[in-house]
Amino acid sequence: MKLQTEVLIVGGGATGVGIARDLSLRGIPSLLIEKGDLLSGASGRNHGLFHSGGRYAVSDREAARECIAENRILRRIAPHCIEETDGLFLCLSEDGIEFRDRFLRACEEVEIPAIPLSRDETLSLEPELNPDLLSAVKVPDGAVDPFKLVLENARDAGTHGAEFLLHTEVKSLILDGNRVAGAMAIDLLHGEEYSIDASYLINATGAWANQFLKFAGLEISMALSKGSMLVTNQRLNQRVINRCRPPSDGDIIVPNETVSILGTTSIRSEEVENFEVTPSEVSLLVKEATKMIPAVRESRFIRAYAGIRPLFQSEEKGEDRAISRGFVLIDHGKRDGLKNLITITGGKLVTYRLMAEKASDLICQKMGIEVAGSTHLTPLPRIVGRLGLKDRLKKIGPSVSIDGREILCDCELIEREEVENILREGKLKDLQDILHRARLAKGTCQGGFCVYRLLGVLNDLKRVEGDPNRILEGFLEERWKGIRPVLWGTAIKEEELSESIYKGIFNLTPTHPSPLEGKG
Amino acid sequence: MPSALYRPHGFAVNGYSMNKEPWSNKNADVCIRCATCMAICPVSRVTPLFPGPKQAGPGAERFRRPDDPPVDQWIDLCIGCHLCDMVCSSGVNISELNLIAKTKYLDEKGRPFRDWILSQIHLFSWFGSLFSHVANRLLRSPIIKWMLDSLFSIDRRRELPLYQSPTFRQWFRGNPTKGNRKIAYFYGCYTNTNEVDVGKATVQVLEANDFEVFLPPQRCCGIPMLSNGDFEGARRLGLWNIPPLLHTIRSGSDIVFSSTSCGHMIKHEYSHLLSIPGAEEVAKHLFDIFDFLRNLKENDGLNTKFKALSLKTAYFAPCHLRSLGIGLPAFEILRLIPGLQVDPIDADCCGLGGTFGFKKEKYEISQEIGKDLAEAIDGLKPEIVLSDCEGCRMQIRHLTGLKVLHPIQILRDALIFSKTE
Amino acid sequence: MHYDIIIIGMGLSGLMAAKTAVEMGKKVLIVGKGVGSLSLFSNTIDVLGSISNKMTLIDILSQWIKDHPKHPYAKVGLREMDQALSSFTSLFPPPYSFQTIGDGNWLIPTGVGTLRPTYLIPSTMVPGSSLKEGNGLIIGFKGFKDFYASWVAQQLKCRGFTLSLRDVFRQEITATALSRLIEKKGFRERMGREIRKHLKAETCVGLPALLGMNDPCSAKKDLEELIGAQVFEIPVLPPSIPGMRMFNRFKIWLIQRGVTFLLGYSVSKAILEKRRCEGIEVLHPPISTSYSSDRYILATGRFIGGGLKANEEKIFEPIFNLPVFQPKSREEWFQKSFLSDSPHPIHQAGILTDPSFRAVDEKGEWILENVWIAGSILSHHHWVDEKSREGIEITTGYMAAKQALKYEARGAGHAV
Repeated sequence: MKLQTEVLIVGGGATGVGIARDLSLRGIPSLLIEKGDLLSGASGRNHGLFHSGGRYAVSDREAARECIAENRILRRIAPHCIEETDGLFLCLSEDGIEFRDRFLRACEEVEIPAIPLSRDETLSLEPELNPDLLSAVKVPDGAVDPFKLVLENARDAGTHGAEFLLHTEVKSLILDGNRVAGAMAIDLLHGEEYSIDASYLINATGAWANQFLKFAGLEISMALSKGSMLVTNQRLNQRVINRCRPPSDGDIIVPNETVSILGTTSIRSEEVENFEVTPSEVSLLVKEATKMIPAVRESRFIRAYAGIRPLFQSEEKGEDRAISRGFVLIDHGKRDGLKNLITITGGKLVTYRLMAEKASDLICQKMGIEVAGSTHLTPLPRIVGRLGLKDRLKKIGPSVSIDGREILCDCELIEREEVENILREGKLKDLQDILHRARLAKGTCQGGFCVYRLLGVLNDLKRVEGDPNRILEGFLEERWKGIRPVLWGTAIKEEELSESIYKGIFNLTPTHPSPLEGKG
Repeated sequence: MPSALYRPHGFAVNGYSMNKEPWSNKNADVCIRCATCMAICPVSRVTPLFPGPKQAGPGAERFRRPDDPPVDQWIDLCIGCHLCDMVCSSGVNISELNLIAKTKYLDEKGRPFRDWILSQIHLFSWFGSLFSHVANRLLRSPIIKWMLDSLFSIDRRRELPLYQSPTFRQWFRGNPTKGNRKIAYFYGCYTNTNEVDVGKATVQVLEANDFEVFLPPQRCCGIPMLSNGDFEGARRLGLWNIPPLLHTIRSGSDIVFSSTSCGHMIKHEYSHLLSIPGAEEVAKHLFDIFDFLRNLKENDGLNTKFKALSLKTAYFAPCHLRSLGIGLPAFEILRLIPGLQVDPIDADCCGLGGTFGFKKEKYEISQEIGKDLAEAIDGLKPEIVLSDCEGCRMQIRHLTGLKVLHPIQILRDALIFSKTE
Repeated sequence: MHYDIIIIGMGLSGLMAAKTAVEMGKKVLIVGKGVGSLSLFSNTIDVLGSISNKMTLIDILSQWIKDHPKHPYAKVGLREMDQALSSFTSLFPPPYSFQTIGDGNWLIPTGVGTLRPTYLIPSTMVPGSSLKEGNGLIIGFKGFKDFYASWVAQQLKCRGFTLSLRDVFRQEITATALSRLIEKKGFRERMGREIRKHLKAETCVGLPALLGMNDPCSAKKDLEELIGAQVFEIPVLPPSIPGMRMFNRFKIWLIQRGVTFLLGYSVSKAILEKRRCEGIEVLHPPISTSYSSDRYILATGRFIGGGLKANEEKIFEPIFNLPVFQPKSREEWFQKSFLSDSPHPIHQAGILTDPSFRAVDEKGEWILENVWIAGSILSHHHWVDEKSREGIEITTGYMAAKQALKYEARGAGHAV
């Protein structure tokens, strides 16, 4: 099939989707292609921390300023994607007070509101903290739901004319002399091939930047760094908890709805796709977090996950290329002589909008038009408001009825109706797509019960492509990756239960003759 | 293992300051969602209005935050039978989580006046007993019941407990016992004013085992208040009750109780849930009457000079008895009586739940739960039904119309005494 | 209080041990923190499922025992296995009886439409084994979210239909609530008539395993008359109603015979002296009650029941602190793939015993001379992959009790 657009965006993470929205608000048509589902990369595998910038205040003033500015903007335009929890930077006795004072001064310099608190004040706000702390500093950190944020961006972009092709992978670039003119792509689920004509192409593939640039015979100086996170079963803290010391591994605990997330590590990786959380990372995260919240040691973990960050090297940060210390925007026309191709990579989730704005500005410059961006002013429309925990709790009890209001996920209280809405909305191909959007399988049992129910419901709605048993197997294997690193204590009981259900009661992968062959 | 608790009106626990809920409900954390509790919960079996222990307890706990107002209006449908706790192999004390959530909910939304009435019955009891003829006529009167129903939502279909005169205390004063050892008896308010023969039988059996019985100063144990989410009120009663009981045991006497609900309250909830000083020490010397008799039997000290009783009975184990963790001592002792047929009833909860089944919005749930018990009894066709809890006895009478007694009354009858009135 | 034998654990192995001891006239205490796997599994009795249906079970078991000398079955022996299983089935007289199909395994339908091999099934599941392409109708209920008729039907190449009984229940309905409704004649009639309307030429109708907690056979018979086809149960997600039936039957039987039945309490401490256990303590705050006996059976199950616990480094047994046979490190506990062909090494972990079911150390000597180990807590079996769970529980429960009751304490240190 032949397709045509102005700007072809490759990569469905926060950056790519942010660009699609920004361009769409400027009236510039775009098509975004992504080989998996939205947020397949680092955008969907991060800590969910809505930075105030405090973490960079001392070491990188520029980055900190960017963070706090974007923090303010996002609070205005996307309040329903953010939980304004505030954050605390703890000084434990081993940290001393000296760094805290530098921290306070640095925050003041970059205009991050930072309030010092005494030990007693801190403990009365968060009684679960290590009583051995000296003091803390309160900053406007928060918790963000990256899925909601990016999906809302995508939805709004779509309303304004942007197009999306998910599960579609670029196979080669279409070149016209020294100019990029489009790309050849293939739908990975159905095999359909696309030939896409585009005036400009944006490489927003994040950690896959170099893999993509191979199609153009180019390379940027980049490394990969793995960061791992652990998810607790219950929410241990109300505010984001940081360590008030030079940034290091394992020193942040982010609350996220019903759980807390411990993070993170940074380990050089060669692999962009096959990676796992290692036992030593698990031990490190538990150890460091326990120093801040002693209850972590005895806490139950439901899942571990990791993401790959792209780390670009300093050669890329020349004055005419680097817009900021935090991220990199490369115009390959200037750098490599291949016109109409730009790469944008790096950055934090919190600065996605700024990155998208800069990329879109560059595109407008190339197009020779002067349309200013408006994403810093235009709020994301609130299609589905953010449900607080207590509102979700209201879903059980007398209001439950068989007309769609059945609860599919007991742990996270997700209703059948929510799933049906999601199905109605998009062309979803994959079980994981639905799980991401419905937020199923994120709770205590990690889908042990609800995915069976979900598949049953999908089957009833005739939305299952293929054999539901095989899909269930695929889901269980995927789930296993997240569970295996934390299998001890209560998690092992949960595992025994899932094995007994799927291998025992259901005999999902039978080793005996199939139903159609002879019986006993 | 005591969990961190919410204290209504904020008094300090474990060093945490008032009005602040410490965030370490470790027990809810160990739930593996196996749904075994769902298999046994009597309430979720009969009504969809209660989401069941798995959801109401550890499930909802993940959503409850200390600063949010409570929204779980279905939480007071938990009948407090503790059956979920007993079958949970992970050790989640679900009914406790539910009770605390219920307390928080009622604190916020306000308690109906009716709940206050139902939990303060002991205040009217002496009055009811004194004027028992009049009181009973009123309690039976359809007009009064209609009024109670319309004004206070106390369901008119429920038979209200009738008063007896003289009270147990009055009877006891006129009938002192003799024996070589002393023992104290916590009789409970219901025995005192509504089912005096249970008290009499307990005393008579103890005397037949060579005990001199005395009654330490005592008030309502407070369980109606606790189960209605009034921790404060229950605690006040506990603080009153424990010192005389402590004095009793320190003087060398054990204490027995005949009401399993009172017993469970004092023996376990006073220390564990209400942190009443001295309660732990008292608990070690406080026994269910049949547990006490069983211990006597172990040491060959039980009077087993039973006469034959040719009766076909069925025995129902109350929820609070099961929660005591002593097995079924009444059943074990009754089997020693020659000629007596005792069949254990295969049912879990009678459905009354103390004050639960009196409430208009819960009456039908209570009855529906009770239906299963009634069917089980019907299958056995007993002449008399036996149960150690006054609530269960009331409910079984209400459901089946059969004669229902405390097992101690049968035991007394077998020990060559006057028949039950 | 003193007992002839104390059984710790109220799953199938503990209950069988209690039954065995009661039948030998002993005074029994059984204490357990839950109902074991009975509420969680499908509660048909698996003896050895992972074998083809072409051989008889006896032959297979003989070979198995030869090939796996450390397996619990090897310690029980064929003859005793047979006796143990008979003892179990005798507890369930008709109409709700457990049946075998000749000498091999049944193949019964599951909630994902596969077939599962198993040795003993209750009479309410029997017609499911004759399900063939086209002869079955699978029925689900709208509002009961743990069973999906069309999924099961598709896999089994039959028809499926979901009943929507809005006039009876408009909300979600739990397994126990639906099971209770099915026990009511009025609902059954409604249900039966609805199903009949949708029945075509099918000869058997499959329902989720909810035919009532108390009298499933009457429900089955009624429905068969109303529908005009055979009716069978299909096991679903926990909680398992058939499992609770089993538990209730054991409970009432044991209580009727004077067993002290302490459901809901765990043993907080074992009082050990030299190589003997002298008593146990059961903690129910604030009271700790002691019980003593000359014989103890540890039948506390695996991780779900708390019989085995795991911290970040190792697996341990919390009551008697018996050494646990286990892989060298946590990394080796589980395979990288969940549904891998080779079983997860952690399943083999457990308490190593000698043929008399007493725990032994590396030298093969008894650690405690009066404690016998029964059930899934034993080492050297992979119950999930072997499909041998209930068989191990029943036979080792039976044998451990028999072994224990041979023991007469003749002063400290002397043991039979």
